[in-house]
Amino acid sequence: MFADLFQIPFADPSVYNELASDGITPRTHWAPFINSLQNITPDELARRWERAERRIRENGVTYNIYGDPLGKNRPWALDPVPLLVPSAEWRYIEAGIIQRAELLNLILQDIYGERRLISNGDLPASLLFANPAFLRPLVGVKVQQSSWLHSLAVDLARSPDGQWWVLADRTQAPSGSGYALENRTIVADVLPEAFNTSNVRRLAPFFRAHRDSLLRLAKSDNPQVVLLTPGPYNETYFEQSYLARYLGFPLVEGADLTVRDRKVFLKTVQGLTPVDVILRRVDDSFCDPLELRGDSFLGVAGLVDSINAGNVTVANALGSGVIETAAIMPFLPGLANKLLGEPLRLPSVATWWCGQEPALRWVLEHLNQVVVKPAFPLSGMEPIFGADLANAETRNMSAKLRAKPHAYVAQEQVALSTAPVWDHGQLHSRSLVLRTYVLKTGDGWIAMPGGLVRVAGADGPVVSMQKGGNSKDAWVLWDGPVDTFSLLRRRGQPLELRRGSSDIPSRAADNLFWLGRYAERAECMARLLRCLMARVRRATGAELRCLVRLHACFDSQHDLLPKTRYSTPRDLEDELISLMSDAGRPDSLLSTIVELRRVGGQLRERLSTDMSRLVGQLADAASVEEYMLFIEYSAVLDGCLELLAAISGMERENITRGPGWLFMSIGRRLERAMYAVRQLREVTAPFDEASWPLLDYLLEVADSSMTYRSRYFTTLHPVAVLDVLMSDTTNPRSLAFQLSELAELYQKLPRQVPEDLKAMQHANALLAELDLGTLDYPVPGADRAGVDDGARAELDRSLCYLQELLRSWADNLSNTYFGHARTLPISIGG
Amino acid sequence: MTYRIVHKTTYKYKHPVAFGNHSVYLAPHSQGRQRCESYKLLVTPEPATRSERTDFYGNRVSFFTIQEPHEELAIEGHSVVTLDGEVSWPAQSMAWDEVARSLPLGLTSASLDAFQFVFESPRIKPKPEFAAYAAASFPSGRPLAEALLDLTARIHRDFEFDSKATNVRTPPEQVLRQRKGVCQDFAQLQIACLRSLGLPARYVSGYLRTTPPPGQPRLIGADASHAWLSVYCPEAGWLDVDPTNNLVPSQSHIILAWGRDYSDVSPVRGVILGGQDHKLEVAVDLEPRPVP
Repeated sequence: MFADLFQIPFADPSVYNELASDGITPRTHWAPFINSLQNITPDELARRWERAERRIRENGVTYNIYGDPLGKNRPWALDPVPLLVPSAEWRYIEAGIIQRAELLNLILQDIYGERRLISNGDLPASLLFANPAFLRPLVGVKVQQSSWLHSLAVDLARSPDGQWWVLADRTQAPSGSGYALENRTIVADVLPEAFNTSNVRRLAPFFRAHRDSLLRLAKSDNPQVVLLTPGPYNETYFEQSYLARYLGFPLVEGADLTVRDRKVFLKTVQGLTPVDVILRRVDDSFCDPLELRGDSFLGVAGLVDSINAGNVTVANALGSGVIETAAIMPFLPGLANKLLGEPLRLPSVATWWCGQEPALRWVLEHLNQVVVKPAFPLSGMEPIFGADLANAETRNMSAKLRAKPHAYVAQEQVALSTAPVWDHGQLHSRSLVLRTYVLKTGDGWIAMPGGLVRVAGADGPVVSMQKGGNSKDAWVLWDGPVDTFSLLRRRGQPLELRRGSSDIPSRAADNLFWLGRYAERAECMARLLRCLMARVRRATGAELRCLVRLHACFDSQHDLLPKTRYSTPRDLEDELISLMSDAGRPDSLLSTIVELRRVGGQLRERLSTDMSRLVGQLADAASVEEYMLFIEYSAVLDGCLELLAAISGMERENITRGPGWLFMSIGRRLERAMYAVRQLREVTAPFDEASWPLLDYLLEVADSSMTYRSRYFTTLHPVAVLDVLMSDTTNPRSLAFQLSELAELYQKLPRQVPEDLKAMQHANALLAELDLGTLDYPVPGADRAGVDDGARAELDRSLCYLQELLRSWADNLSNTYFGHARTLPISIGG
Repeated sequence: MTYRIVHKTTYKYKHPVAFGNHSVYLAPHSQGRQRCESYKLLVTPEPATRSERTDFYGNRVSFFTIQEPHEELAIEGHSVVTLDGEVSWPAQSMAWDEVARSLPLGLTSASLDAFQFVFESPRIKPKPEFAAYAAASFPSGRPLAEALLDLTARIHRDFEFDSKATNVRTPPEQVLRQRKGVCQDFAQLQIACLRSLGLPARYVSGYLRTTPPPGQPRLIGADASHAWLSVYCPEAGWLDVDPTNNLVPSQSHIILAWGRDYSDVSPVRGVILGGQDHKLEVAVDLEPRPVP
């Protein structure tokens, strides 16, 4: 029974009801859908919907709400009941939004060209000059096929009399079409009966045209198109990665691209790939830190110059954000007549731009009837409903409008139409806004048949996904044949087996390299700290001096003796606590772990949940509370070391051996080698009998005490310690082991630089040739006379040389694979 | 008067820079009394790419990239500039409040171009506090040129030249509070004052002659780039004033570029890969030569 399922509230005559004009009898075009829905029991629909919602979660369909305590990855909110649009009505909307796209494109062309509309007075000059989105460096550039707008989104609302009005134009980087696509695949799957019998126009042909039109914007025969994203923290990141996959273009961030020879390239570890077309979801002013916003990390330096040289096409063109403002709406009817020679088909909602004196006066007099919004984006101001303002607030608002009139627009508040929303077996009426999409193709403009419907929550008519609203699919019920082309793989098609690619983006490789380095650095630091902390309180005289020498191993520049800064245990203790927990010190353990977490966050698409969780836990484990007892610090360090061991275990056992793993392992080996060299240099430095305890510490820090004891029992000797920690290739903590691994790992990389491989092989050879037998050390109690320091000085020079070599080698690796820059030769000598 | 100018900027990086992408505004203007006889940009190491454009304001901007590792970058602008004739300061001018009121209504190409300099720009936001400071110089109906000189003199008197008090990012609000700064700060502050009154003012970057003509005092702000401002006055055109020295630029000021504020025309800008910290040295040499 209809009434059992659908508890539709009585018609509210002040709004347009999409489903039924009287609130009871469905409109003609809804009847077949309602009939079809009635054949499904409420339980069945609930079961299907539960499955669909699970799929949304499993597919990771998310929408990031800024400032949400739940953080990122909020599941996408979707309603199973689509908005139905009959064919005649769709033809009206389609013609209206296509005309609008054509008009807005012509306006952009004029603004960045001759600006006749300004000099003739068709558009006020202040609308342009007060607008921070007017990007002067783009004035005069040639745009491929005059496509200033490659795509446009238009938000529509329906007033009580049934008329559709334009609420807003999205010209910057229109979002949401990917969500519309995802909504369609889910809703068509939940309601196959209704979908298959309703002759719904399909979305796939629109996306095919989207892909083809982007390819056609390129000048080369085999074009590379990329989708430029602001990154995982953007609200619509899911949609961007979904669209990129669906269209078959790589999803890239600004740091993945580089401009060389005035051309744009994609950086991967395999090399540089030329990029012809950039479909951008980054706001235009953030796209080039050299010529646009200098504080942006989302863009590519030199992009504007590359566009000027005609070497790359960006869609939508940089600068198109200038007309993403309601301030332009009052001028559109006149501009349509002037530029197109025809009246504007779809009206905009009544809008007053306060930058004009008469409009400002009208707005000030009617403040309680309008919604005040920022005229220009990026101002961060929320819309203000005049009707909600108290007297004092009205005066305040009026003052603001008078002080900076051109920064504000006022719009009539539209009584939005309502559509049914399904909620646990019942239908409720909710206000809606329909976002539609237009695309410029080689054969003119086309509209996406359908759109993204956004509906308000239960508590009011304000529609905003940022405020936790819901979304819907929109079905255009067609009266002609529909194209059933699909870009998705059909179910039942044979599966194609795939292995990991041998190529990854340079940015990911860079982050993985540093993940390895920071993880190892944290471990080396924690080991040193634990060894020092356990002894510093009771240390006296010679022992304290040994601890101070061990402490010097933290310093990457590693100055040799004398180290007189810490003359009392108390001084050293304070330094150790600071080194462990001072977040303001870049060389502290805590800062290193914070960096590790930051790099891990950049890699969130590439790390398993377990790995990400470990990295997160580490940051918690490393934080030290105020007034913590000194003895508790060891427990903190133990906790960190356990988590770090778990991370390195994951790295060995749970990551496929692709290029990503190689860079992570190289980072770890490199860092461990660097620490090993520093620690070993303390044994080659002036070393007398009082230095003997240092040997014990070094073995402990390198986790090699057991190995040593099993070979030499309790007899400590510097030469034997050097053998275990430096030359023994079977000890995974020795320097020789790291260097041999580095040479081996490097040979598995693509595009090796022969000189760099040679340098690492040379380092290995150098270490193998060192003759520890010639070293002469004073034995405790024995006479110091007759000890020859020559061989030791020689060894120290070699280690010093290795230290330099590792540093240059790391720079070259980073230039070759991450920065794609020429490398400097490494001096081979020593 | 003809000047031979060498403007050398040297970056010394702590760590090699793998790649650098730069833009420079070092080509003097050729307009009105000023004629740029020659301009050459020398860069070491030799850039891999070079290009040049005229920007929205009519300035020549050069771009170059260095695509090889380098620890030092030297950018030298060499130019020869001739200044002809005297500056004609208008004896009479339109009332300032009439200019502010009527400017948006007139649509000649000159006033349209000037109109953009009424609005806020990345570094200069008009505010009531600036208007309040300017108010004493701008009683209703006072001729714009006269009021402008008065404001220039007041800023010169009320503010102290102090190269330690500010940096290139110091906002005009702070300069107004602390009453200290350098030429860039005074220029931006005066622009903020004028825009807060609805008047079009633009930022001018350039050079100031260092050696004083016989019998005249040495001017402040020399040995490096200088900055002042220019105000649009209907009928009279653009009027330049230098608040740092309280004078109307004439034979000692050479114009490099103008824009809404410093950010539009900073002489040397770059985005580099690597480098970490750097040391910056700027040397400007201005050699006056009599007209041959």
